[in-house]
Amino acid sequence: MFYRESGDFKTSYSGDQQIFPIAFDRWVVIAFCAFAFVVVPFLINDYWEKSVLVPVLVWSLAALGLNILTGYCGQVSLGTGGFMAVGAYASYKLTTSFPEMNMFIVILLSGGVTALVGIVFGLPSLRIKGFYLAVATLASQFFLVWLFNKVPWFYNYSASGQISAPERFVFGIAISGPNSPPWATYLFCLTFVVVFALIAKNLTRGRLGRSWMAIRDMDIAAEIIGVPPLKTKLSAFAVSSFYIGISGALFFMVYLGAAEPTEAFGIEKSFLVLFMIIIGGLGSIFGSFIGAAFMILMPVLFKNIMVGGLGWPTDLVAHLIFMLIGGLIMFFLIVEPHGLAQLWRVTKEKLRLWPFPH
Amino acid sequence: MNSQIAPGETLLEVKNISLSFGGVKALQDISFDILKGEVRAIIGPNGAGKSSMLNVINGFYHPQQGEVWFDGKLRTQMKPHEVAKLGIARTFQNIALFKGMSTLDNLMTGRMIKMKTNLFWQALWKGPAEKEEQEHRERVEHIIEFLKIQSIRKTPVGRLPYGMQKRVELGRALAAESKLLLLDEPMAGMNLEEKEDMCRFVLDVNDEFGTTIALIEHDMGVVMDISDRVVVLDYGEKLADGTPDEVRKNQAVIDAYLGVSHES
Amino acid sequence: MSPEFLYTIEVILNGLMAGIMYSLVALGFVLIFKASGIFNYAQGVMALFAALTLVGFQSGQIPFSHLINVMFGTEYHHWGEGMNNFLAIVLTILVMIAFAWLVEKLVLKHLVNQAPIILFMATIGLAFFMEGFGDLMWGANIKTLDVGIPSGGSFWWEDVTRTWATEGSEYYGMYIDVLDVWATGIAVALVIVLMLFSQFTKTGRALRAVADDHQAALTVGISLRTIWVIVWSIAGIVALVAGIMWGSKSGVQFSLSLIALKALPVLILGGFTSIPGAIIGGLIIGVGEKLFEFWVGPLIGGATENWFAYVLALFFLMFRPQGLFGEKIIERV
Repeated sequence: MFYRESGDFKTSYSGDQQIFPIAFDRWVVIAFCAFAFVVVPFLINDYWEKSVLVPVLVWSLAALGLNILTGYCGQVSLGTGGFMAVGAYASYKLTTSFPEMNMFIVILLSGGVTALVGIVFGLPSLRIKGFYLAVATLASQFFLVWLFNKVPWFYNYSASGQISAPERFVFGIAISGPNSPPWATYLFCLTFVVVFALIAKNLTRGRLGRSWMAIRDMDIAAEIIGVPPLKTKLSAFAVSSFYIGISGALFFMVYLGAAEPTEAFGIEKSFLVLFMIIIGGLGSIFGSFIGAAFMILMPVLFKNIMVGGLGWPTDLVAHLIFMLIGGLIMFFLIVEPHGLAQLWRVTKEKLRLWPFPH
Repeated sequence: MNSQIAPGETLLEVKNISLSFGGVKALQDISFDILKGEVRAIIGPNGAGKSSMLNVINGFYHPQQGEVWFDGKLRTQMKPHEVAKLGIARTFQNIALFKGMSTLDNLMTGRMIKMKTNLFWQALWKGPAEKEEQEHRERVEHIIEFLKIQSIRKTPVGRLPYGMQKRVELGRALAAESKLLLLDEPMAGMNLEEKEDMCRFVLDVNDEFGTTIALIEHDMGVVMDISDRVVVLDYGEKLADGTPDEVRKNQAVIDAYLGVSHES
Repeated sequence: MSPEFLYTIEVILNGLMAGIMYSLVALGFVLIFKASGIFNYAQGVMALFAALTLVGFQSGQIPFSHLINVMFGTEYHHWGEGMNNFLAIVLTILVMIAFAWLVEKLVLKHLVNQAPIILFMATIGLAFFMEGFGDLMWGANIKTLDVGIPSGGSFWWEDVTRTWATEGSEYYGMYIDVLDVWATGIAVALVIVLMLFSQFTKTGRALRAVADDHQAALTVGISLRTIWVIVWSIAGIVALVAGIMWGSKSGVQFSLSLIALKALPVLILGGFTSIPGAIIGGLIIGVGEKLFEFWVGPLIGGATENWFAYVLALFFLMFRPQGLFGEKIIERV
């Protein structure tokens, strides 16, 4: 078998603490990133950008964010849509108030604003646990969406109540607005995703990540061995909301272009992201990506096959997709609560021994 | 162990502790002390308030009355994580490991209180965070070696057998390099061999690292063998306090353990 | 009485009746939670599904006709004139019992001993599945539901209240929907029946035993799985009642499933394990949100009903995490 980890010994702690301790994994990931950065921009077209690549990237960030909070720190949130809205509206206010501001900074600041909002709505987590907290996060979901609907300042008093992304440039190339080339928006999103995936990995493998997981696995014991609960939970809320805010900002500025809060950031978006991390794998960075890809691409695929191929009506297919999603969620929770990422790990373990499993 | 307190002096003192939940009196007017460097046992029948006492010591329960002095400072109303920072580590009666994490990560979490790189460096990883991580990894590896758990270093603790989990939990408490180590029934549910191993570890920790130990245990043989002094609780009250021999001869203790006919 | 005062009374009355509707849904949650520790997010979709099924039977629709027609190129929609209300309701109850049995067999059985939050997420999956399934079975168009409950404003009440107003003031009487009054009556009757059932029948005793302590119930020979099927069936029937009420009021459509979301803050207020709690919680939320909208809504742009219940529940949780009637939690190590 060409995939091997035996014989790959570590002689130093830094060698053992790498993100991909197995040389083969490391090279595959580097090759994959190189392909994504260098080759894909030349192949990409409008359809692939709008239906596949950019949505997968944007939702991966949101899934990463929620996975930090739910998968690593164990705090279930149903407020993801609301926090994405905060990111989107922050980016809108920033670009319209400061048209000269660099787009990278706009997106990062939007994440920062969302992190602050996340901390405020995370405060109850000290006293509330489990699904009580999940219900409490619904308060943020509904309140935030209502706020962006009702306070005209947020949408610059536009008559329609909508916000629309102005054309903005990075290095002289439009990355938002109708004239942005597909490769530019794709690369812009990809940069954020790669950088923040790396940061998420670093955070979760270090001290902060361990304290999150300690709170998740047994909060009382964690507190007694010295993990400050409020600080730890709030840090998870802040980091998670930061990611979700960036995702919301990109979703609006780069992908949607125009948005109306109830439509774009409703409760169903919160569920969508939750499903991504359940199917992908709770507490797994890699799982956030496969979960997002799965939840975005599966409907696209089904539509192509059933509507495009068999000529079935769209509403019928939509019902089937609903059933399929619900069924898959239950299936994964029953069979593999750690999601696709765990299936992948198990496959790897089997591969390691292949073809002599005994 | 940079404490101002020399061996033989008082490390921890509880004075007149009373704790109740609603109408249930868990502890009534309990006072005792723990000297630096000793192995102190807390014994008593089920429901005597032993675990409640440990919970008071590490700040998880706040007593209605009384004072807890540690290392010369009054600290009755502190939060558990602050107490941990002062240097009190603990294991639990029902294993309270972080089940989703590996042995190594559990031990590393035990060192939480010693680590201090900020969010920025942790996000970057290269630099101070990696250096700190390696320093602490080295300390943790010593403990892994000491407890002979090298082979399960990367195993998620949820998959380990009971005895091993108890050992990992001890390791997590040791990782904090605390001044005082509270062990809540470290040998409960173990077979003879595992008990002997655990006794050895407890004594070695006490000898080699000079850690003061307070333990709750039901196995009287173990208690009499390894502890320097014993305090006996019953129904939330203190029955006796002294060396194992003194306690063994104490009439109140014999009555509590063997039962006494009340007609006489 | 001044018209302002009468308006306030009208708002409170309507709030109380809306609250009863919330309580009806919350009741289904409490039943399942008590018996199995599962927080059943799908309760709202169960109401939708029950209402869809009822309408389908009433009007004589062929289940899955849409799918069948697409697959085989046929044109079937109805198999006849439909059936009378009583028969339709009985059949729907049977469907809900079959559903409960299937849920136990296919889902719950495999999730025993999982963390509550995993079970919660599984019921979200169940909700999605049922929503797709219900639409596939009966079609997604908005349907009207009429089982013979009168509806519309009460002229009698309007006339009565008009006489209460101060002489000469412009007041046209209170608007109360008769349907709401009926719903209140039916809800009260349902609660009484449930209470009698759990107090005075053998199954009821078993239910209470399971709610108290699973392990102990098992040791005295109560079959946990049978209990679960029974409880989910009862919750299905409660869902049907809720579905009939909400469906008669605003049509059977997707938004009906969203009442589950409204029931959540009700539960937080009332506690997850208390039936009186669910009812009082529902009333507090119903009156609270209507009054808030009436007094504060106009000042801040209206539509506050979208979030008021959650924010109220959130504040409430900060001070009493176990709910109004829940037991205080003592944490142990």
